[in-house]
This record gives sequence, structure tokens and C-alpha cells, in this order.
Amino acid sequence: MTEQIERLLMRVEKPARYTGSEMNTDVKPISQAEISFAFCFPDTYEVAMSHLGLKILYSIINNLPYAVCERVCMPWVDMLEGMKAENVPLFSLESRTPLHQFDIIGFTLQYEMSFTNILEMLWLGGVPVKAAERGEQDPIVVAGGPCASNPEPLHAFIDAFMIGDGEDVIVEVVSLLNECKKTGVPRAERLRLLAGIQGVYVPSLYTAAYHEDGTLRQFLPIDPAAPETVQKQYVYDMNTTAFPESIPVPYTQIVHDRIMLEIMRGCTRGCRFCQAGMLYRPVRERSVDTLLAQAENLVGSTGYEEISLSSLSSGDYSCLPALCQRLMERFAEKRVSISLPSLRIDSVLKDSLAQTQRVRKSSLTFAPEAGTQRMRDVINKGVTQEDLLSKLKDAFEGGWSSVKLYFMLGLPTETDADLAGIASLGEAAVKAYYAVPKGQRAKGLRVTCSASVFVPKPFTPFQWCAQDSQEEVIRKQRFVRQQFTAIRGASFNWHDPSVSLMEACFATGDRRLSDVLYRAWQLGCKLDGWSEHFKLDVWLQAFTDCGLSPDFYAHRTRQEDELLPWDFIDIGVTKRFLWREYQRALNAQTTRDCRLGCNGCGIERMKGLCSYADDRSV
Amino acid sequence: MRMIVVFEKGLPVRHIGHLDLMRTMQRALRRTDLPIRYSNGFNPHIRLSFAAPLSVGVVGLREVMDVPMSAEVTGAYFQQAMNRVLPSCLRVVSARSVSDTFPTLMALVAGSRIRIQLSICAEAMRVAEVFPAFMEATECVTLRKTKSGENMTNIRPFIAEGSLEVTGTEAIIRCVIQNRQDGSLKPAVLMQALCELAGITSVDYIAYREQIMTRNPQGALIGVEEYPDA
Repeated sequence: MTEQIERLLMRVEKPARYTGSEMNTDVKPISQAEISFAFCFPDTYEVAMSHLGLKILYSIINNLPYAVCERVCMPWVDMLEGMKAENVPLFSLESRTPLHQFDIIGFTLQYEMSFTNILEMLWLGGVPVKAAERGEQDPIVVAGGPCASNPEPLHAFIDAFMIGDGEDVIVEVVSLLNECKKTGVPRAERLRLLAGIQGVYVPSLYTAAYHEDGTLRQFLPIDPAAPETVQKQYVYDMNTTAFPESIPVPYTQIVHDRIMLEIMRGCTRGCRFCQAGMLYRPVRERSVDTLLAQAENLVGSTGYEEISLSSLSSGDYSCLPALCQRLMERFAEKRVSISLPSLRIDSVLKDSLAQTQRVRKSSLTFAPEAGTQRMRDVINKGVTQEDLLSKLKDAFEGGWSSVKLYFMLGLPTETDADLAGIASLGEAAVKAYYAVPKGQRAKGLRVTCSASVFVPKPFTPFQWCAQDSQEEVIRKQRFVRQQFTAIRGASFNWHDPSVSLMEACFATGDRRLSDVLYRAWQLGCKLDGWSEHFKLDVWLQAFTDCGLSPDFYAHRTRQEDELLPWDFIDIGVTKRFLWREYQRALNAQTTRDCRLGCNGCGIERMKGLCSYADDRSV
Repeated sequence: MRMIVVFEKGLPVRHIGHLDLMRTMQRALRRTDLPIRYSNGFNPHIRLSFAAPLSVGVVGLREVMDVPMSAEVTGAYFQQAMNRVLPSCLRVVSARSVSDTFPTLMALVAGSRIRIQLSICAEAMRVAEVFPAFMEATECVTLRKTKSGENMTNIRPFIAEGSLEVTGTEAIIRCVIQNRQDGSLKPAVLMQALCELAGITSVDYIAYREQIMTRNPQGALIGVEEYPDA
């Protein structure tokens, strides 16, 4: 096989995607491990290696004395075709072991449009694509990550899902399966045992029934080993939970080629469209000392020249100035720079930014998300026009000339006035730039406004909402585009609405979408997250072939009493809280930041987990 | 002072490009406590340069780089420190400290010694058959890409010496490639020319650059890392 692979590598684009051997990856020989785990990322190497979760779990599994974890990524089309033609099975980067030879295969679910890649990878790796067709000798296929919060569209392909923070549950799963392997426990029994771990959902142990209108009637376990409600796993203390001391250092440039220091998990803001903000509750910070020690380890083991502080809202980290100060002092000698991503416009901008020594003045990103105050109140984006303009003024005075503004289009209750607000904000940004006297401002103004299409997500207050029809989205995009033609210095970018349509279907879909997914894959869909490979007509064909309609999933407003496909999961926030938030949204009522007082989202049920919880509201 | 470093770029990393290799070495240096020099300015980076870029896909057995140092360290210390932090497919073979007046490596390079290994198969045998004729000829024209575009070039003058060895399992071509005014010759272009002569479309092979050459003041070919420090 090695010779065939070497021959393929001479022919494909970016062969270094497939060769492994990076620093910090020669962990241990696979032959010496009692149990092997293939960490599968259903996208290309560059995307996979930019993902912090992969690095955390890779290190956790490899630190288990009895286990080995190797990486497997989705090959690009040229390699895929070559592998098929030469009968080369999908193999791991470390030891080039074919996928089907691993004991456990674990997929991370980061994005709905990578689902077809999971099927392709299993097939290419010689693993039966459908869970029901796997036998005693086949690997156990598990999956986790944000999209596992509604696992149903993938239920036919995954043996067990892990819901919630992965650090602890992954160890429980690997350790249990290792014991089972030693004693030769049959597959069916292994799955039943897995279902006993908190946060694990084994879809084959449940059954779904539907009303005539297609909505879910009943969803129940059919095996006493399966809990009625699957409660997700939480990491309670970010200072004691595992964080890698060393991470692989790719040779080629990847998307995020730097040390990512996770300074906290969770977000207190409560933006109503944001799934991550709900899933990762509550906010759990790492201490400055912990972070400094982690940075020290990682700089020493990787030699990276940049550290980025990573979290959903880094500006909210309680000790941000102290952290930046100490990181910079510590690493000045090694010329390691510190950068802050996902800057929110109401974060401590000036102080912290002034301290980071290498702030590339290329572009600064803001996410007002909506164009008018009313709309921002609906989505609970606690940011005002004045906030935004003052931050823009700071940025332009601070030497930036290029800013990006992120918006969403198609939000619940949106009117044309809200859309016009997007252009007004773009125009205000241009004015803010020209308000800085010439000579004091940097040259080359560029205001880039981008609007994605709103996608309703499970476990958000907008999980009941319909997405705008394709026609309506296109009309709205055209409308905004027209508004922008009159503004000099600002440009407007928009997304392909058909991709967003499929995202909405698979984000909020039920079990029947497994059939659609399988059909679409059979019809040739893969790498759908890459616009050049996304084929809407084929997807629509797959829906038709399965007797289903995307309208039912994406364009339908759900009722309060509707049983949702993901209701059997306890994700922390309660359905009651989400409904209350939805109603407040419809009335354009904002809800305070958790740090200003507990809003009773449901996390307070977990004693000692949330530092802002008010137990009395239970 | 500067460190002239000979390193191996092994089989698993032969597809890594020049700039990626440079970044990899810079990161390896940062993993050590070696007294390296940084560039000034807004975006400081570790100073280092390579003798000659290696074509993607070619294994380098004795690649050479030049690392300016901010304090005295011995070659042995440097080698040890680097090999502690490099992956096994990138190894420092030797390191030698030279004065700041040592010529830049790029300016020294006169050519290289290469080895091309072909597993025995029908195509490989065809290549082996035509190689002696190629060596005897004074001209062999093939398409060659340079900075100034694609040109039909007589590549034969690039080859100073050549030999062929056929064992039970492999055909091995060894050449000394001498650089000319318009640059060097990639092993892939040589192989493409040999395939054309052999009347085949392609052949599988692995190319190794065994040594990067320079001429000493007496005019003899030596490894670039051996050039005398004045």
C-alpha cells in the first residue's frame, strides 16, 4: 500500500496533506496499544488541523497508557479519485493504517455540510456506512461536537454520540470499549453499555413515530439500558481539565496556524440565534496562572510565533488585561505575539489591543449582526449603534483603515427597514473614517459588510423559527445590494442561500434525514461545505427520492407543543427558558447578560457549575 | 558568528515546499534555547537562509542552511539542541560555526549531486536502456520551466557526470548537475527528458539530492558546507 500511496502523492495537489510526520505526532506505535482510536475530521487537513478540539482529544487519548489515537482527514477530490482507482483505503496520517482496522472511529461534527464526508470517509475506509450493517469485527463509530446536539439526521450511521464537553466522556468511552475488547463483549452489548455513560446517546436503542403532518409524535427508548433523557456531560473546572502540553505542528499552512489558548468556555451574552452561546453554557474561565503554564508548555513544544486567545467572547474574560500583560512579558524574548480573535464590539478594545505588540492593522472585524436597534434587541445582541460607532472611531484613529462588519439576513421579524439599516451602518462606518482628519488616518478605506443567511439552530430561542424562503432571501439580498450601490468605500458580500437552506434542514432535521443524506451521497454529494462542490439540484433530488421536502424542515414555524427531534437531550438550558426567550424576542425585549443576574436558563440545576447561577430560581 | 548546518530532509517530508521548510526550521529553532538572531521591525522573524531550494518531492540527504547566531555556540551543541526538537524525518547531520564574513551559501552553490532510484519495471528498464545514449549525446532538448517562462532547452549541458547501476530490484541513476547562468536543473525535468527518449509517458521514481556542491579556491568540487572560512 505504501508504494501506491507514494505514487499517488506524486500526482496530487498539496501532498503534504496526507503525509503526517509533523512535530509532536510520533506518539506511540499503534501495534503496542490495546485499543486504537481514529480521530476523523470530516473535512480537509487544513481545516482539521485548525480545530482545537481535535488537538485536545488527540492528546487526551494518547495520554491513556493503553490507547493510541491517530488522525484521519477527508482527502481532496484528486486524492479521492486516485485512491478509488488504485483501491487504496482511507488511512491514518500517523501509521497509514486503514480506517477499518481501528477499534474506534470518532467523528467530530462541526458543520452540517460536512455530513456527506462522514459517509464518504467510512466507505473509503472499508467500514460499512450504515450502523445496522456493521458486524462484530467492525469498528464502533462514535461522534461528538456541536452538531451532535441534534444527532438525528446522522442516527443511521453513528453507533454512539457523545453530547457535551468531550474531555471526560471520551475517556469513559475508550476505557469501556477497551474492557469490552479484552473480554470479547459482543457488539450489541457494548452499545448497551455505552448508553449507560452520561452524555452518550445510542440511536439504535430508540424509536421515533410521526404524526400524519410529519411532525414527531413519540420518541422513546426501546431498551432498558437507554435513558429516556440523555444528559450532556460538563467540564466543571477548566483549570483541572486536560489541555494539551504539545500539539502537532503542521508543515504546510493551515487555516489557523498558531497556538490557540482556550481562555474560557461558554458565553454570558445570550444572543438568541447563537447555538454555541447556548450549548457551551455556563461560562467557565481558566485562571491566568493556568493559562500562562499552558502557553509556556505549548510555546516550548511547538515553537509557534503566535498565540491567539480563543473563546466565544474573549473580550469578556475577567482578567484580560492582566493575561495579555503577563503573556507578553513572558514571551517577548522569543518574539511570540498575542492576538485576540472574535473581538466583540463592546469588549475592552483599546486597552488590550494597545498592549498586543503585533496587531496586524490589516483588518478589524465587528459583528453587529443586524442593522437596526430593534432587530438587535430581537436577537438580544446587546450592542448599540453608539457603541459600534465609538469603536469604529477608535479603530480608525488607531490606524486601521479596513473593517469588516458581519450581519445576518432573514432574522425573525425582519423588515425592509432593518435591511436598510445594514447599509446605513456601512455608511456610518465610512463617515466615521472620514471624520478622522486626513493625515491622522490610515490610507485605503475599506468597509466590507457581509451578510449570512439566518439558520435556525436546535437549543436556541429561534429553534421554532422558519427560515425565509429562497425567493425571499434572494429578494432581500438584492434589496441590500441596491442600498449599497450608493455608498462609496463600502462593499456588500452575501452568501449562497441554497447552502443555508440545507444547513437549516440538517440542523433541525429528524431521523428521516438519514435517508436523504444517504441518497445525496449515493448521487455524488460530498465536500458540500466547499461552494464549488455544493449541488443544490442533487440535494433536492435526494429529498424528492425520499418523499420528503426541505420546506417542512426549513420553512415551517414550529408550535410550542411540538415534540422536537432533539427534545430527548438535556443540554443544560431548558425548553421553557428557550420558549420564554423566543417570546421576548418577538416583543423585541432584551434579556440581561448573565453576569448582571441569573436569568434561570436551566444551568442553575447543575449545582456548582455556573458562577452566576441563582439557585433560588430553580 | 553563523552556523552552517547540514540536515537531512527525509522521505516523509519530501513534499514540503521551500517556504514551509523555512517556517518549520524557524519553529524548531524557537523550541530550543539557542542564541538565534531575529529580524527587526514590526513582524520579527528568525534569520536563516538555505543554500539552494530543493524541488518538492525530492529527498535531501545533505541540505545546507545558514543560521546567524547572537552568541558563540559549538556546532556539536547546536546539532544536539536541534535534534532534540526536530521530528525524526528532519535531522541535523552536522553543524559548523563560521565567521560573519563567510560567503553567503547561495553565492557559493555550483551544482549538486543527485541520485534517482527506480524500482524495476518495464518503464524503468526502458529508462535504463536510453540513459547511456543520453550521456553520450551532446544535446537533449526538452520543455523546461524557469522564471522567464517555459522554453525548449538543451538540458544535456547541465549534466557534468552520470552513471547507471542496475541491481536485481532497482535502477539507480547518479548525476552531478552543474548550475548554469539560467539556473539549475530539476530531477523531474531530467526524468521527463529520459521518458521522452524512452518513448514512455511516465515512470515512478524517488529522487535524492545527495549533496549541494561548490568549488573550492583551487577549483575542485566540494560540499558547500566544506568551503573554507577565511
